[in-house]
Amino acid sequence: MSPSLIDILFQPDAFFEQVLKEGESLKIPALIVLTGGIIAAAYGYLMGELSARMMAALMPGMDVIILLSAVLGALVGTFIFWGVASGVFYIISIFFKGSGSFNRVLEVVGYGYLPQILGSLITLVAAIWYLPQIAVPVLAKSALDDPAVIEAAMAAFMHDPAMVELTQITSLIAIVFMLWSANIWIFGMKHARMLTMRDAAICVGVPVVLYVVYVVYSLGAM
Amino acid sequence: MQKVSIISCSFLILLIAACIAPAGAYSTPDSIVAAGKVYVSNVSYDPGSFISGDSGIATYTVTNANTDLGVVVNHATLSDPAGKVRVLDGTHQSSAQIGPGKSHTFTFTVTAVGPDSYCYPVFSISFRDADNLFAREMLQIDNTPLLLTVKDKPDAYTAGKKKTIHLEVSNPRGNMVKNVILRFSSDGADFTPSQVYVGSVNSHQTVPVEFSITPSKETPVQLTLDYYNGDNPHSVTLELPVVFGVDKKAAEPVMSNVQVKNVGGTWHVTGDVNNAGLETANTVMVTALSPAVPEDPYKVYVVGALKPDDFGSFEITFTAKETETVPIKLSYKDNDGNVYDSIRDVKIGATGIKVDTGSGGFPVVPVAAGIIVLVIFIGGWAYYLRRNKK
Repeated sequence: MSPSLIDILFQPDAFFEQVLKEGESLKIPALIVLTGGIIAAAYGYLMGELSARMMAALMPGMDVIILLSAVLGALVGTFIFWGVASGVFYIISIFFKGSGSFNRVLEVVGYGYLPQILGSLITLVAAIWYLPQIAVPVLAKSALDDPAVIEAAMAAFMHDPAMVELTQITSLIAIVFMLWSANIWIFGMKHARMLTMRDAAICVGVPVVLYVVYVVYSLGAM
Repeated sequence: MQKVSIISCSFLILLIAACIAPAGAYSTPDSIVAAGKVYVSNVSYDPGSFISGDSGIATYTVTNANTDLGVVVNHATLSDPAGKVRVLDGTHQSSAQIGPGKSHTFTFTVTAVGPDSYCYPVFSISFRDADNLFAREMLQIDNTPLLLTVKDKPDAYTAGKKKTIHLEVSNPRGNMVKNVILRFSSDGADFTPSQVYVGSVNSHQTVPVEFSITPSKETPVQLTLDYYNGDNPHSVTLELPVVFGVDKKAAEPVMSNVQVKNVGGTWHVTGDVNNAGLETANTVMVTALSPAVPEDPYKVYVVGALKPDDFGSFEITFTAKETETVPIKLSYKDNDGNVYDSIRDVKIGATGIKVDTGSGGFPVVPVAAGIIVLVIFIGGWAYYLRRNKK
């Protein structure tokens, strides 16, 4: 009996035990990451629209460039994150004499990305709710002569009360669902790299905890 | 010889008879009766009422009411025993046959020489076969002139600004006057139009007239109303003082509730414009002047027309460097299209973009939430690992 995707969320140990008995396949993990990337791109589009509105007057076509950058950056960035996270976990696991291919690590990290899709959906809904409330400063062409003006405009944009609230909510959502993914990744790494539970927890936990600490620090520094 | 005498006597008798015969032959009872049916059927004067000195035409129409007899009239005259009307021309000495049921018109040129009054000139005609016919019809001499009234004018004028003056031309006379023309003269003002043709003004009629004046100096304006009573020219004059000053009723847009905000290097100035005057301020516009440089989207804000006590909001956008105040120009047009400007300095401050730091302070709740979630995660795993190890 093949395991269902729901098992990833609630019974990751059993799920990976079943899945890794079969041959390596990145098809489903890639689809999960792609889905997460598309949702992230939608969120990027909403945020990029605000930035484009702010900078549209600086030069012709600026708004299009910003929108494209935001959408493509979010989509491609998701896949880059997949690769980087897998790489970090793989490298750390080397110190624990882990065995198993990098593709296996990619596969389990891809599966572990599933909670991120849920987190991204909630973030998208929050963005749709909050973004219209944000007062976007519009930069005039003359602002190009004075970088301080652009800096101040960005600060004004980031410190808009609605923007602050949205950032806090999305950060907390990111922490919760990142830790959920980390939970899955630990079991995944255990099976993919033949690690003990403790070693797998360190491989995944250290970078994830550092990431979460950084996010919490950023929240406090706003 | 005797025969010649007899012929001569006969001829003389015939000659005398010929001379006597007409009188005796035409002045018959029938002809007298026929003359009694001849009457003055219509009298008219042009103009209808005269101003002293006016010349005009008196027209008398004599009608023969007989159905089968014509009458011969041979002398028609007009005279005024009171001496208020003088007949200049038109005494009819020639004979005229008026057929049965026909009329004949006699015209006289007269001049009114008396003061305001009613007078009764005597018209008479002589019948060939009867006595005379007399008729007296009233002719009025009325020296009442046309009335030129200022209905509305500005309280004060401004040099070079056009203002509209509303007048009324009234005819209190009993007859129509024609070719009424209003002319203006001044050595310190331009007029639009240069003169006004009013045309005919009926008895007791009032005609509104308006014109625009653009004064260049404080010089009275002479208004002259020319008109014709019949064919006699007359005029009425009116002097209009031109005094420069503040029009008490003029529109007076006032800027208030001015708020300044800098967004992304562009200054946004918002506020209200109230019309504190008594007239409508048309096309009220607000814009920033140098050293400010107006920027889109609101380089110039058109508030529109503001009635007295009405108000409208405005928003202008501009950039400004190295200045703490920016002159804001408020302009409007009056009903004559004159443009009025007023300038107000608005302090924009030396600071750059105002950064709202939100509610301020350290975000305790989200940070605490993040830490708690992290601690639960670490603690949970530590517990799990310890339990697994055992």
